[in-house]
Amino acid sequence: MKMRVRLTFPQELIKEPVIFTMAKQFNVMPNIRRARVTETVGEMVLELEGEDASLQEGVRFLKAKGIEVELIEGDIIE
Amino acid sequence: MGHVKGLKCRECGREYAVDPIYVCEFCFGPLEVAYDYKAIAKAVTRKKIEQRPQTLWRYRELLPIDGEPQVGLESGFTPLVKAENLAREIGMDELYIKDDTVVHPTLSFKDRVVAVALTKAREFDFDTVACASTGNLAHSVSAHGARAGFKRFIFIPASLEASKIIASLVYEPNLIAVDGNYDDVNRLCSEVANKYRWAFVNINIRPFYAEGSKTIGFEIAEQMGWKAPDHIVVPCASGSLLTKVWKALKEFQQIGIIKDLDTKIFGAQATGCGPIAAAVKAGTDVIRPVKPNTIAKSLAIGNPADGFYASQVIKETGGYAEDVADQEIIDAMKLLARTEGIFAETAGGVTVATMIKLIKTGRISREGTTVMCITGNGLKTQEALQGHTAMPHHIKPSLASFEEVLGRISREM
Repeated sequence: MKMRVRLTFPQELIKEPVIFTMAKQFNVMPNIRRARVTETVGEMVLELEGEDASLQEGVRFLKAKGIEVELIEGDIIE
Repeated sequence: MGHVKGLKCRECGREYAVDPIYVCEFCFGPLEVAYDYKAIAKAVTRKKIEQRPQTLWRYRELLPIDGEPQVGLESGFTPLVKAENLAREIGMDELYIKDDTVVHPTLSFKDRVVAVALTKAREFDFDTVACASTGNLAHSVSAHGARAGFKRFIFIPASLEASKIIASLVYEPNLIAVDGNYDDVNRLCSEVANKYRWAFVNINIRPFYAEGSKTIGFEIAEQMGWKAPDHIVVPCASGSLLTKVWKALKEFQQIGIIKDLDTKIFGAQATGCGPIAAAVKAGTDVIRPVKPNTIAKSLAIGNPADGFYASQVIKETGGYAEDVADQEIIDAMKLLARTEGIFAETAGGVTVATMIKLIKTGRISREGTTVMCITGNGLKTQEALQGHTAMPHHIKPSLASFEEVLGRISREM
């Protein structure tokens, strides 16, 4: 299963290898498509591939770390 | 014969054929419709536009369709009202209201985007249209879709009050009430859109759908006498409308329909859901998603897909963005009704209150021409005014009782 997400990193996490840790711990394959890092914030657009349960756990891990995880489509309910 | 060249990624510029797709396969950036402006410039003149029926389709060369318009043939071309009373009250030179409280058939600007989306859906040969919505979009897809003969699926969070959905249910769409929160509905719809061959208006048809918003910009320029105003205040939910109003003016200039373009674009949001205003005010271009908490439900998009691009337009044009509290929204709705006789939904209150704030802080000058985009009808959000309106005068059925009240009213006036 594949999932397309946008991650927003708070400043204190920019230097941490969070994506690598998630990938290893939950067996999720990240494919980074776009990234932007400024002084105060980091943004990353990527595809995550893995088993459904692994993806859910991986996303939960990122959120618990303090990373904002959003669908690439933005909010669809208008 | 249309003038669309194809779709183009807003991030990496990669080009795609005209298909019901919305995201770049390489960088996941959003796709946008690209036109052949040289051909359009040859095909369109002011005179030609003026001779056409007064609907949004009079700008059809700049809309992403290949054949004849098929849906929303009476939509658009709403009044541009010169708001002299309100201008006097606030102390402005020249103020106009682009009044989309009266778009055919469901009284919000969504009738414009859905008209374009469903025409395109028909061109793509879809038989089913869908959307996720808690209000205006659901009404419009239900109504336009009914007349055009589409099967319709509308997704809502199950927690939504019944009264909110009656204006959709009357058109008899398939209403799917999802047992989950907003995030769950967002995720589910994204999955449904990827699996079923449906025209999901704000997902796989989004590049085309969004282009319908340009017609507000075209109409403003035409109704101002083929001129762009000095300031335009636009309410922001996903941020798409704001970017498209600006795109419309730029396109008109590019094809020679208007000469000068020096318009500043301003964004209006509610404080309870103001991710775009927050970014503009902080001087950053990173949009941080929020959990919405405002009475302006039609603007309650916490993770705006076009937030970044809206903030860029605001920056590029020298505009600004502001946010206003719920009480300011209510006061502004009442002010608009009292001065101009226009009953706008809560989003209209956001726009009026934001404009007043921008005037007071000097971001919008009192001189020059200002246009406010009022995007939906107040009859849809009447509950927001519960307990905030004037009260009726109760009397006995006698002349004496009436005259007693009349005396009191006369003294107060």
